[in-house]
Amino acid sequence: MISDRLLAEFDSIVRNYPVRRSALIPILLTTQEHLGYLSDESIAAIARYLNLPAIDVYEVVTFYSMLRRHPVGKHHIQVCTNISCLLLGGEEIFERVSKRLGIKEGETTSDGQFSLAEVECLGACCNAPAMQVNYTYYNDLTAEKVDQILQALQKPEER
Amino acid sequence: MPTVTINQKSLTVPEGTTIIQAAEQLNIEIPRYCYHPGLSIAGSCRMCLVEIEKMPKLQPACNTRVTDGMVVTTQSPKVKEAVSGVLEFLLINHPLDCPVCDQAGECYLQEYYMKFGLHDSRMNENKIKRHKAEVIGPHVILDTERCVLCSRCVRFVREVSRSHEIGIFNRGGQSEIRLLPDQVLDNNYSGNVVDICPVGALTDRDFRFQCRVWYLSKADSVCNGCSRGCNITVEANRQRAHHGEGRRVMRLKPRFNKEVNRWWICDIGRYGYKFIDDPSRLIQPLEKQGDELEPLDWSTAAERAVGRIREAKQRGGAGSIVIVASPQLTNEDLFVTRKFFGVDLGIDQIDFRIPDKNTLSDDDFLLRADRNPNTRGAEAILLDGGGFDLQRIIESASTQSFGLLYLCEQDLVKKLGSEPARRFLGQFDYVIYQGSNENETSGLANLVLPAATYAEVNGTFTNFEGRVQRIHAGIEPLGDSLPAWRVICKLAQTAGFDYGYESAAEVFVELAQTVTEFEGLSYEKIGSEGMKLPETQPVPA
Repeated sequence: MISDRLLAEFDSIVRNYPVRRSALIPILLTTQEHLGYLSDESIAAIARYLNLPAIDVYEVVTFYSMLRRHPVGKHHIQVCTNISCLLLGGEEIFERVSKRLGIKEGETTSDGQFSLAEVECLGACCNAPAMQVNYTYYNDLTAEKVDQILQALQKPEER
Repeated sequence: MPTVTINQKSLTVPEGTTIIQAAEQLNIEIPRYCYHPGLSIAGSCRMCLVEIEKMPKLQPACNTRVTDGMVVTTQSPKVKEAVSGVLEFLLINHPLDCPVCDQAGECYLQEYYMKFGLHDSRMNENKIKRHKAEVIGPHVILDTERCVLCSRCVRFVREVSRSHEIGIFNRGGQSEIRLLPDQVLDNNYSGNVVDICPVGALTDRDFRFQCRVWYLSKADSVCNGCSRGCNITVEANRQRAHHGEGRRVMRLKPRFNKEVNRWWICDIGRYGYKFIDDPSRLIQPLEKQGDELEPLDWSTAAERAVGRIREAKQRGGAGSIVIVASPQLTNEDLFVTRKFFGVDLGIDQIDFRIPDKNTLSDDDFLLRADRNPNTRGAEAILLDGGGFDLQRIIESASTQSFGLLYLCEQDLVKKLGSEPARRFLGQFDYVIYQGSNENETSGLANLVLPAATYAEVNGTFTNFEGRVQRIHAGIEPLGDSLPAWRVICKLAQTAGFDYGYESAAEVFVELAQTVTEFEGLSYEKIGSEGMKLPETQPVPA
């Protein structure tokens, strides 16, 4: 379940830390990047790899909201609704995305392409309202801009 | 060694002592949820905040070490306000379901609210709803709404049972106690998390809704489940027995003993008390008439027993009688057994060791393979003459026939297996069974004498390390049953030997004067923590 390639990455991460268990969060992030989310199986494998009780890994995974225990869409859209974005229409942006894709907070489209999450501050207050699709930031959003972004993301699959 | 002053009282303590420990020695109460002396320090609940002179902020007493000249107060307005505030936060989402909560009466939310809170709720928002009454294991039930996240249970499964079933999941207001997906809290020490939970979040499935805690009487005793001799409290519902369908003992709780079990007991011991109020209890003497056991009164039963013993002795001599005592009996019981059968009747075939076909093992913590509380005492009291080997008779499967077997508190059918047990019993013309509960072996006896259980008697057990520890009667002997030493006294009296013991204490005085290994011991010296036999060798496991 954990590929040899991923395991090799674990090995190189662990070398960065004097204490083996310190590598836990980077390893969780790497695993999530490769597999999309952290399954019970992955968590058990990581716990074994780091000689940690599985419960310790669950505590960390459930503590951090950016660590996911369920799969998300290919494009994971995270719309900020914290103060600066809220004041400049963040909630409307969220609603726009939600309506266009036909999904609510925490849901994924049936084709597995998009998922939607409402998030706290993305650190982009100077260009609010903002959203993040996977690791790409989109700033100074307007309804039109949102439509264009979504359309561009949808395109390749339509072809 | 630093000297600390807490609330104007001074105390010199060893280096490294924390304020909360020093306060305990001064009998000053500092409230706490997360601190437990048997676990690592979390410092997370903030209930133990105290004011220290020259420190600008309040400090937690649980993880602040005493330094020389430190002046602490737990009474200042600043401390009171802080503690009351912490409590108010802890109660924000509390469901206030005390009337249906099993913890009520021994709950530290109730206790501390009355002592340090007494504020009205200022919470206008809706309370967070959480998981309620989840069965998380064979013995424990979890209510996360009542939890204050002290993490005692989490540290217990990490540090003491090392079984790692429980953790704190999620963050902030969403944090709660959870187990791994599809896992249960099932280890031999799981019951301890209920004891250390300061609130009603973890409750005991066995005790739940059986009895309100304020109806319980408590007697200091020692677990009879193995040779460790964990210190316990027998908690019984004495006044309202009609509520429990005759169940008097409601629960056993561990009692702190630094040298034996510290704060803990295992689940085998904790839930092993059911035999005490079980319908299988023998509550009157019985005699076999045909295939049935018919009730007798005590004096007839004693006459019958003594008559049969005399008859066997006259016919075949003392060598035709075998006495099988039990490592479940107290030192006092065993001493009187030896005195009557061994000294006064001159029977030297006395043993208590029955080979057990069920292989039991130690765990690596408290539980011992020897599931008897007094093997060491039985060795000291019964075997110092040496010589007789019961095991040889049992295992040789000889056809030698004997006159009489006096068997105490041992289910031979269970230990030897049905066929070997029947063969062994068949070697005797007459079998007397003395015990607390009916079993297959008692059913094979000619005469049955009802004995009290350990929860119903005063006396002492000697654990595997040779530590002599006292047990106290928490309830009365059921029906006509009697403490084993009194059963023997009755027989002795019938046979013309009047020992005149009024209590187990008097038996012990003579025991200490007679049995070399017990020399110099007394109930006073044993106290509540027990005392080791002088110059004693531990029994191998």
